[in-house]
Amino acid sequence: MTKSYQPEIKRLLDGELSLADLAPELRAEGEEALRLLAAVDRAPVTLPPSLDARVMQSVRQHAGSPARRLWRRLAAPREVELRLRVRPWAVLGGSLAVAAALLLLLARPQAPVPSGPNVAFVRFVLYAPDAKRVTVAGTFNQWDQNAAPLTPTGKDGVWVTTLEVPVGQHQYAFVVDGQRWVPDPAAPGVDDGFGRRNSIVAATAPGARIL
Amino acid sequence: MRVRALVVAIVLGLVSPRLLPGLAAQDVAARLTGRVPPEVVTTVNGIAQDAAGRGLPVEPLIQKTLEGSAKGVPADRVIAAVRTLASRLDESRTALRDAGIPAPSPAAVEGGADALNAGLNASHVRDLARISRGPYDPAVTLRVATTLTALGVPAQRGLRLMERRIQAGRGPNDLLDLPNEVQVDMAHGASAAQAAEALETGAGDRDQPERPEAHPGQEGEHGQHGDHRD
Repeated sequence: MTKSYQPEIKRLLDGELSLADLAPELRAEGEEALRLLAAVDRAPVTLPPSLDARVMQSVRQHAGSPARRLWRRLAAPREVELRLRVRPWAVLGGSLAVAAALLLLLARPQAPVPSGPNVAFVRFVLYAPDAKRVTVAGTFNQWDQNAAPLTPTGKDGVWVTTLEVPVGQHQYAFVVDGQRWVPDPAAPGVDDGFGRRNSIVAATAPGARIL
Repeated sequence: MRVRALVVAIVLGLVSPRLLPGLAAQDVAARLTGRVPPEVVTTVNGIAQDAAGRGLPVEPLIQKTLEGSAKGVPADRVIAAVRTLASRLDESRTALRDAGIPAPSPAAVEGGADALNAGLNASHVRDLARISRGPYDPAVTLRVATTLTALGVPAQRGLRLMERRIQAGRGPNDLLDLPNEVQVDMAHGASAAQAAEALETGAGDRDQPERPEAHPGQEGEHGQHGDHRD
């Protein structure tokens, strides 16, 4: 159990202040703190002679544990003789299958090289002065309400985050305190199909737009 | 015997992914398992398999399921929302095909479904897809239309505004700026419809793709979203 002292009491214990320097209402607490400090046993600690033996015994037990022995077995190099009996047609078939796999991989059409960036950064802002936690969830993060927390900018209740989202139109909503789904008041909204509203934003190659 | 089994396994491993496109459905289940109740996984997996079999994108269905689960929505409502979305994807693809796009991209189909969800109808989607040719990707124009509608611009007026810009030869990036321009006017007190009307009136007259000088400070007003990239 720990006890928190006033800063002045801590300075008293550090020797920076004397009891006379404390405010009258703090003196009783200061005296109590000094008594506790004085009661601490500051005698040199003497280790029992058997301590070394006990420590070494514990180390030896750990070194010889079954897990460690198993690891040594697994890690130690050893000679292995592998003998296979195969039919020639099976070897031929396997070779053909591997060759076919390579051909298919090589013949697979290459993914098109994107002509431009396919992601954009979108900044989300919500004014929520009473919120303890704000996140944003939407089609860009699989509606995971824990994936994108907003950060309070200060004491003015403004929460912000900037996310990298795939180019395209996205629907989203803020989640306040893990429970309340709030549409972005600064963005257009659409029916979410569940009786609420989703906000929409488009991330386009030139940057995010209200789209 | 073991070698023979090995050869068979290798050959099957090479061939089966190409013969069994239904493996994608396993991916759906894998994406959902652990995040949504098992009965939802089973039902949505069936819906997704059906959608994939008809050539519809399944990613929106997965996202809607994850969203519903994250929001704590009861399983039956999640499934209902996924069914509705699958229906919209189908309706969107039909509208795109009616517009003369025989094989619309998954992004376009999804964009059309989002537009339907935002309040546009199938005719709007079809009409917008018809004028989205050349440099104008229907997936993008549908997203713009969705956002304009979400801002409160009446669907027909939003479509007219976009059509004017396309006919005036404005670039795709100019279309992308439309929602921002509407929001700037709204920040100055105009309704969404008024903002769209004002932009439509001046849509063919402006030569520069930049937003009009009559709306200073718009960068600051839209600072909540990112404006930089890699």
